[in-house]
Amino acid sequence: MRGFFAFTKKEFREHFRTYRIIILAAVFFIFGMFSPLRAKMLPEIFSSLDMQGILINIPEPTYLDAYSQFFKNMTQIGLIVVLLVFSGMITNELTKGTLVIILSKGLPRHTVILSKYLVAVILWTISYAAAAVLNHVYTVYLFNQVSGEGVLFSLFCLWLFGVFMLAVIILASTITQGNYGGLLLSAGILILLMVLNMFPKCQRFNPVSLAANNAGLIANTVSVSDLVPTVWITVGLTALGILLSIFIFQEKQL
Amino acid sequence: MSILRLEHVYKSFGKLDVIKDLSFSVSEHAVFGFIGPNGAGKTTTMKMILGFLKPDAGEIYVCNEKVIYGNTKTNRYIGYLPDVPEFYGYMRPWEYLQLCGEISGLSSAKIKDKTDELLHIVGLDGVNRKIRGFSRGMKQRLGIAQALLNDPILLICDEPTSALDPIGRKEVLDVLSVVRDKTTVVFSTHILSDVERICDSIGVLYQGKVVMQGKLSELKNTYRQESVLIEVEDKSQVSLLEKEIGKLNAVSQIDVFENSLKVTLNQMDLINNAVLELVIKHNINLKKYEVLEPTLENLFMELVQ
Amino acid sequence: MEKLIEYLPFLIPIVLLELLLMVIALVHIFKHENYRFGTRWLWIIIVVFIQIVGPIIYLTIGRSED
Repeated sequence: MRGFFAFTKKEFREHFRTYRIIILAAVFFIFGMFSPLRAKMLPEIFSSLDMQGILINIPEPTYLDAYSQFFKNMTQIGLIVVLLVFSGMITNELTKGTLVIILSKGLPRHTVILSKYLVAVILWTISYAAAAVLNHVYTVYLFNQVSGEGVLFSLFCLWLFGVFMLAVIILASTITQGNYGGLLLSAGILILLMVLNMFPKCQRFNPVSLAANNAGLIANTVSVSDLVPTVWITVGLTALGILLSIFIFQEKQL
Repeated sequence: MSILRLEHVYKSFGKLDVIKDLSFSVSEHAVFGFIGPNGAGKTTTMKMILGFLKPDAGEIYVCNEKVIYGNTKTNRYIGYLPDVPEFYGYMRPWEYLQLCGEISGLSSAKIKDKTDELLHIVGLDGVNRKIRGFSRGMKQRLGIAQALLNDPILLICDEPTSALDPIGRKEVLDVLSVVRDKTTVVFSTHILSDVERICDSIGVLYQGKVVMQGKLSELKNTYRQESVLIEVEDKSQVSLLEKEIGKLNAVSQIDVFENSLKVTLNQMDLINNAVLELVIKHNINLKKYEVLEPTLENLFMELVQ
Repeated sequence: MEKLIEYLPFLIPIVLLELLLMVIALVHIFKHENYRFGTRWLWIIIVVFIQIVGPIIYLTIGRSED
C-alpha cells in the first residue's frame, strides 16, 4: 500500500512538472467561462456586423444554448485535450525505461496501472467539475435561469465517458509500443466507436452515446431512461479495459 | 550459502538462442564478475534474475527463493543498476531516492538517513539540480545510490563502468569495493581490468553458457602459464641469450622482441635458476626479470578462441 | 459593440489563460534546441497562431522529453 501511495504521489508530481495539470486547468477554465459567453454574444456579434440589408433572425439565446455550447466544446476539443494530455503517461515510461528501476524495487505491476488510472481520473474529475461549475455559474449569471432535471445526469454522462476514455488510453498504451502508439490506437478506437454510433442499433450499447446526447438530455428531447443501459455498459467496459491492461502489463517483457 | 543460483536456464528471442543451459551460483559476500563479450547475454541473464524477462526453461533462485516472472518477491533482496539507468528527469536526486525508499517500504527516518549517506558516498551531496541535466557519470552514480538504498543482500550492476571515463570508472569501482562488506555484488562487464581490480570470483559467459567459473586466484593458478619475461639493457645481447637459453631442455618456446625475451617453460622451479646462472655467466645487464602472471585477458582470449 | 465592452470583464480572464499557455510553451521552445519533431520556427508559428490547441500540442507531444 505504501508503494501505491508513493507512486501516486510521483504521478501527481509528474503531471504537475510536465505541464499536464496546467494545460488541463487552463483549457477547462476557458471552456467553462467561454461557452455561456459565446452563446450570449452570438446574436450581438451578428447584429454588429453590417449585413448589407440581409436580415438574419436569431432568436434570443437561452441557457440551453449555453449548455449546448459547453458540451460541444467539451466533446470536441475537450476530449482531444484529454487524449493528448494522458496518452503519454504509460508510453513515455515504457519507451524511456524509467519503470525498470521502480519495478526492480518490488513495486507490483498492477499498482502502476491502478495508480496511473486513479490519478488520471482524479485530474479529469477535478478539471471537468471546475469547468462545469464555472459554466453553470456564468450561465445563471448571464441568462438568469437554468432549469431541467437533466443537467446533472447529462454532466454525469460526459464525465463517465471521460472515465471510459481514460481506460481506453491506458489499455491502448499498454498494448502498443513506441512514442505515439498509445495515442494513435486510442484515437482509432474512439473513431471506430463514433462511426458505430451512426447506426441507431448500436447506440444503446455504445459509450459514445454518453457524449452525444448531453444537450438533448437538458432540452428533454432525450430521456434519462434511454441512457441508463449505456451507463452500465460503459461502467462494465471501463472495468474490463483496466483489468485487461493489468493482465497485459503483467505479461509484458521489459 | 549461495545468494544467487541459476539452474539450466534457457532463453531465446525468436530464432536467436541467447542463453543455452546456463547454470552458475554466487556465494555470500562474493564480488562476482560476470564477464563476456558484447551480446553474450549478460543483460538478458540479469533481467531474468529480476523477473523482467521470462526464461524459456530453467529456474533461478535468489536467497533460496524462486524468482517468478512478472511480480517477483525476490526483488526486495536485490538492488539493481541497469546498464543505462533512466530516471524521471523532472525530479531532483533526493526526490528520486525518496520515491525509491517509499516503494521499498523503508521508514521516513531511514530514507532520510540512507539518502544523505548514499548521496555522500556517490558524491552527489549538495546537488539540487533536476536529473535531466545530469551527465552520464552522475546518472550512473545516482543509479548506484538507488540500488543500495534498501541495503540489498544482492547488488546487481549491469556494465556499471562501460560508458564512463577513467575517473568515473574509478569512482564507481571504489563505491563497489566499499559496499562489498555488506552485500554480495554481481556485476557484468567486458572490461577485464575492472574485474581484476575488485572481483574475487568470476564467471565467463560465452555463447550463452558459463564456460569458466570460480575464484579468480584459483583460476589463475589452473591456467598458469609458466613463463618469464627477460628484458636486457643491451639489444645485442638478446640473440646470445636466446641461443643459450634454447639449449636448456625444459624450455618449450622462446619469443624474441626488440630488447626482451619471453621464455615459456615446462617446469618453472627447476629452470629459473638455470636461466639466472646463464645471465650471470655471460655478464648480461638485466633491466627486468619477471615471472609472468596469467592475465585475465589471456584467460579470456584462450577460452573464447 | 457597447455590449461587447460590457462583456470585457468576462473575456479578459479567458484571454489571459490563452496567453499563459502560449507563454509557457514559448519559454519552453526557446529553452530547448531539440523537439520530438519539427523545428523551432514551426513550433513558434503553431503556438502563436493556433489558439489554445497550438500550445497544448507542443507541450504534450512536441516537447522533448529532456
